[in-house]
Amino acid sequence: MTRATPQLEVESVGVRFGGLSAVSDVSFTVRRGELLALIGPNGAGKSTLLNAMAGALAPTVGHIRFNGEPIENLPPHRVNAIGIGRTFQSAEPFQHMSVRENVMAGGVAAAKVGLLPSLIGWGRARSVMGELGRKADDLLAQVGLTLRADEPASVLTAGQRRLLAIARALATGAELLLLDEPGAGLSEVEKQTLVAIIRTLSAAGKTVLFVEHDMAFVAQLSQRIIVLDHGILIADGRPDVVRSDPKVIEAYLGRRRATVATPLPSPVSAAAPRQALLRVRNVRVEYGGQRALDNVSLDVGDGEIVTLIGANGAGKSTLLKALARTESSIADEMSFLGASIGAVGPDQVVMRGLSLVPEGRALFASLSVIDNLLAGRYAKRRTAGIVSLLSAPKDEVLSTQERLQAVYELFPILLERRDQLAGTLSGGQGQMLAIARALMAAPRLLMLDEPSLGLAPQVVEEIMACLGRLRSQGLTILLVEQNATAALGIADRGYVLANGRVVKSGSAHELRSDPAITSAYLGAANDIGVAPNESATHARRVAAIPTDLPA
Amino acid sequence: MVRFLILALALAGSLLLNSGYLTNLLVVIGLHTLPAIGLALLMGYTGQISLGHAAFYGLGAYGAALLGRRLGLDPWLGILLAAIIVAVIARWIGALVFRLKGHHLAMATLAFGIIVHIGLVELRDLTGGPNGLSGIAPLSVFGRKLVSDFAILPVVWGACLAIMAVAQNLVSSPLGLSMRAIAENERVAASIGNDVGAIKRHIMMLSGFTAALGGGLYAHYIGYLSPGPFDVGFSIRLLLMVAVGGFANIWGVLFGVAFITLIGEVLKPLGSYDVIAYGALLITVVIFFPRGLLEGLGGLFMNLRMPPMRGAK
Repeated sequence: MTRATPQLEVESVGVRFGGLSAVSDVSFTVRRGELLALIGPNGAGKSTLLNAMAGALAPTVGHIRFNGEPIENLPPHRVNAIGIGRTFQSAEPFQHMSVRENVMAGGVAAAKVGLLPSLIGWGRARSVMGELGRKADDLLAQVGLTLRADEPASVLTAGQRRLLAIARALATGAELLLLDEPGAGLSEVEKQTLVAIIRTLSAAGKTVLFVEHDMAFVAQLSQRIIVLDHGILIADGRPDVVRSDPKVIEAYLGRRRATVATPLPSPVSAAAPRQALLRVRNVRVEYGGQRALDNVSLDVGDGEIVTLIGANGAGKSTLLKALARTESSIADEMSFLGASIGAVGPDQVVMRGLSLVPEGRALFASLSVIDNLLAGRYAKRRTAGIVSLLSAPKDEVLSTQERLQAVYELFPILLERRDQLAGTLSGGQGQMLAIARALMAAPRLLMLDEPSLGLAPQVVEEIMACLGRLRSQGLTILLVEQNATAALGIADRGYVLANGRVVKSGSAHELRSDPAITSAYLGAANDIGVAPNESATHARRVAAIPTDLPA
Repeated sequence: MVRFLILALALAGSLLLNSGYLTNLLVVIGLHTLPAIGLALLMGYTGQISLGHAAFYGLGAYGAALLGRRLGLDPWLGILLAAIIVAVIARWIGALVFRLKGHHLAMATLAFGIIVHIGLVELRDLTGGPNGLSGIAPLSVFGRKLVSDFAILPVVWGACLAIMAVAQNLVSSPLGLSMRAIAENERVAASIGNDVGAIKRHIMMLSGFTAALGGGLYAHYIGYLSPGPFDVGFSIRLLLMVAVGGFANIWGVLFGVAFITLIGEVLKPLGSYDVIAYGALLITVVIFFPRGLLEGLGGLFMNLRMPPMRGAK
């Protein structure tokens, strides 16, 4: 096969989940030996596309060919057998095996030892086992894990797990590697090691396609970038061209329309000092040795809308989870309404008036709308003592009714659908229910994690307008949004997070015109040698968003 | 290899003691070891729960007995043929139930066990119903009938040692790596080229064969079959034996079988309330000794003997 023949052909591929179209009409080809990145905002369909290429799900329409052979209907093990290896977002080593055994396991299927030879202690099974061991040692040397070969895989650091996953995929004899977020959560040093190793593999003739959020990493490694947004391929080309593509910038930073239509009545004057509702000093969160939040400090005043923006993996959701106490964290101070919440349970946090609308809505799909809403009242009802769960006191019944009225007023559609199962709601209705459920606990501070995720622009506008109305009723809001333009459109202040740290904070007005935001999402311009005047164009483009709104 | 020799010598030594009680216990332990090893391969190494293994044991027992009575087959041949038939059945049961995972798989295998047990009770024409089958011919070698515990012990333990060796080979073969990979994460196991469904079915087949072999030997040893010993309670006891042994540990399972069989002797005065003790034991082992009682108690003992060294790497 010549170098010019495409190794992988993706032709008009579409994936639908029920009514939701995750990927539609995506076509591209990959040549042997290419090193390319697949990027796109949260929910763009990158993982879905990767899964389709790896055989983990069959595309609804379209064809995928590898070396000319159709693979779109093959199960994952057959896709692997013909030469496609993949890794997973969380690397997922086999924890109960040693590092060497992990890599050896990768070569078993290709060695094709049947059941009967495996039952006999000598002969083929034994010789294959020896070969697998030698091959594993070779691969471990390639990824620099030789010294850890005999240790259990569970003791590896996050970076080493990623390298192990790559070695394991290589052990299958794969020619094409699909890497799902290889750099996520790694330290700078680990990322550099990974970059060097992926480059070596590429130089040795392997084709590598990786999904990644860290744009600096993408810029450093990729020869070509494919961009997905809402399941549609919006750009495909050289890194510098793609990154200055207005469509790509819009996909990452949000559309203008979302802000134009959003009303913004700010009941509290910006100058007046606000009573601090939430005060956080130096909160830290670690996931298995990797730091997701690194000394983040944050203040939210009474009646404010504060937004946290930043690229995927910056630590925004982790911060909300830490505040909701569903994620354990260490902080110098974490107080709400003057009382520490650093050591209380998640239900206590809700009782005190701090509610979270989680990412992806997390509705009780098999419960009706009204039952979902009543479930949101549970923690509040529990404050009246355990007996109140059996028979609610009169005033609790009354205030529940009041809250129901209030949320129905805000979202009339929920009253209409009160007996429908939550799982059958559309995305926008589901988001409204998720917000309404959090409001049932009568919070002082409402935290929302990506309420616009996966929603059409008009629906995003509607949700943002609702947040504006809630604020005018005196509710304080802490909003995490990928769609920075929409979020800054309604917020008073914002914090920009990158790699678990606050890199910028200020009024929404200041942030809207700050080029740092573009670079927080798309990487600093100088990473890829884009001319300064070009990066200034980004800034102007962001600044061109109407700012005639009171801030 | 050395372990196998030591075990064989110890068994031979026990015969010299000429204790009827001890020999009887050893035979029972051997008969239980066969299905327990089968379950350990499926559950411990491949991560697929089965709450219906008593059914394979029962089918092997009734199959061997009926092949002998109805077709006049030699007991040896009957045992082997029954085990092969059960292996085929197990493979197809696997094809059905491995569409499920976790709790659902547990429920499905439990239901399978109950169905088989009810079948043994209700198919009176074939199985003799609750009255059971009697007069099953004993095994014989060169015309000499193996009736006593002393005579049957070498046969039962010969089968046990062979199956343990086969199981040990399997888990240290490349396929063993795939089994452990599937137990940990099926998605990743499939991504590195393992046909997860086919491997699970193969192991189920082997597991069914092993259990049925134990059942067939049991039928010809005891000479009389009733549905009672093959109920769900036995499936749970098998699970307990594997759990006590540390799930993915062939020699541990042997210890588990011995331990539970001996506990069973102690619990005899409790009658049918012994289930409570088994339940409590299962919970204790799974929560406090997830790597098995032997290793767990060993670790505890080490901790008591040697205070933990602080700061030592």
